[in-house]
Amino acid sequence: MEREPAIIQNTKIKPVPKKISWGMKQITPWLFLLPSIAILGVFLVYPIIEAFKWSFLDYKIIAGSGEFVGLDNFKEIFSDKYFWNALLNTIVFLLMVLPLNVFLPMILAVLVNQKIRGAETFRVLYYLPVITPMVVAALMWKMLYSQSGIISDLFLKIGIFDSPTNLLVQSSTALVAVSAITVWKGLGYYMIIYLAGLQSIPRDVYESADIDGASIWQQFTRITIPMLTPSITLVSVMTIIAGMKVFEEIALTTGGGPAGATTTLVMYIYAKFNSLDVSIASAAGLVLLVLAIGASLLQMKMTSKREDDLRA
Amino acid sequence: MKSKRLKQKVWMYALMIFITVLTVGPFLITLFMAVKSPGEGIYDRIIPNDPTFGNFVIAFNKANFATYFLNTVIVTGLAIPLNLLFCSLAAYPLARMDFRGRSVVLALIISTMMVPFQLYMAPLFQLSGELGLRNTHVGLIVMQVSTAFGIFLMRQAYLRVPRDLEESAYLDGANKFKVWYMVVLPLVKPTLVTLAIFTFMGTWGDYLWPLLNSTESNKYTLSIGLAQLSQNFDGSNLKLISAASILTTIPTLLIFIWLQKYFISGATDGAVKG
Repeated sequence: MEREPAIIQNTKIKPVPKKISWGMKQITPWLFLLPSIAILGVFLVYPIIEAFKWSFLDYKIIAGSGEFVGLDNFKEIFSDKYFWNALLNTIVFLLMVLPLNVFLPMILAVLVNQKIRGAETFRVLYYLPVITPMVVAALMWKMLYSQSGIISDLFLKIGIFDSPTNLLVQSSTALVAVSAITVWKGLGYYMIIYLAGLQSIPRDVYESADIDGASIWQQFTRITIPMLTPSITLVSVMTIIAGMKVFEEIALTTGGGPAGATTTLVMYIYAKFNSLDVSIASAAGLVLLVLAIGASLLQMKMTSKREDDLRA
Repeated sequence: MKSKRLKQKVWMYALMIFITVLTVGPFLITLFMAVKSPGEGIYDRIIPNDPTFGNFVIAFNKANFATYFLNTVIVTGLAIPLNLLFCSLAAYPLARMDFRGRSVVLALIISTMMVPFQLYMAPLFQLSGELGLRNTHVGLIVMQVSTAFGIFLMRQAYLRVPRDLEESAYLDGANKFKVWYMVVLPLVKPTLVTLAIFTFMGTWGDYLWPLLNSTESNKYTLSIGLAQLSQNFDGSNLKLISAASILTTIPTLLIFIWLQKYFISGATDGAVKG
């Protein structure tokens, strides 16, 4: 290569287009890519490859080595009732969060999409939880849930509770209580996704429905929901992928308890990491990866079919 | 007909205000808790009798939040420009140049977005120890600069820039680097702001990696300091936790107020993240 790096060479702008050698043409892109590839290679790709390796080893993080044990780690996971408990909790968590994430933000979006005074302000107020650091959100809710806190007070007053209760410490309600934090935090974000979808629906569709005497509810179910199908898909996929990785709101409120009631897959992995069972943690991480990929593939397939049905 | 409309409107506002109570209420309760004076019981009443800023002072001085704040500012302040630089550099050839291996690199970067952090956190933890990055700011920063998501976001922005602008610059004899820097980059400024916001949000409130990597309290970020403080979650400590929570949130709030429209437009850009 007889040329200097392109950056230095062209400080003077020359009026004649230059011929760039084939070699330069192949090298320049890599110069642009170099910092990112170096960092991602070292701090992302390398650890991922290691995790794959560790899941087939009996890796000791202190010794920095381990012996090949084949599929033993996976066998151990699949015969561990705490793993199945964690998987079940993850699924239950998703089943609770998914419908709420799909519908509540949609209602919010429809409301703030109205041409009424103050809609912009409400949009901002609904977005506040999104910009709250997750640690803060988790601690705020932990406070609200506490036995003498406002939620317990309120539920006592309207007769849901007989005595002051902390929903986070009851194994029957802890997962519901935690999922409420997740939903609260995401409301504004998914609202914005729906708003983008709503704004692509032409206004005159509603106007003509109005003239035909369709009620707001009819307009919502017959026009808005069908037209929002792409946004619904997007929100669902994002919810599933994010929900599988739920961590902070659990780690900081219940720590996975009581008695494993809120131990999700990620909490399981985290606990294994803390007890230095890193090979088990890696194997469980691979299971999580497979599930995340599988879920989004399935979801895409299902919704593209639904869209085909709608078109037909 | 008209009264029906009015009724509808009233209901709509009632509903919107109710939702506001749900989204903003927890902040107000936390804020009220944070300004309660030492003599006041934590759950006696929501609105304090005798508001004081004493808890903020204690959080800053005694509870070490000045240090955590500084650590978080350093990490976030360095992560943002570096991430913008590296992502916008890396995305350019992936959007505009023809070279061998382009599709492989692109596919690799996009597929890493799927990988949960918890899969590789243990090897990463060991690596950061081996590289001497444990309990360092650099150890936290490297995880935030040049993210696969950022590269993807920038590439999408470049693809929307019309090609002829670059071509006329090439005719004037500019090289690739110069075209990127002088012609293309100014055109994707909104996306740069969006990415800056994502980096800020991702770094400022990041929890799991700082929790693993920062084991010494003088290297804690706000999230970790707050989490440690909340180990004792009762009594008057709740006032301190509330004050520290407010302190942690104020910078994100200020930036949100400042760059509001980018937050909103960025949310939909970020949706591709999945």
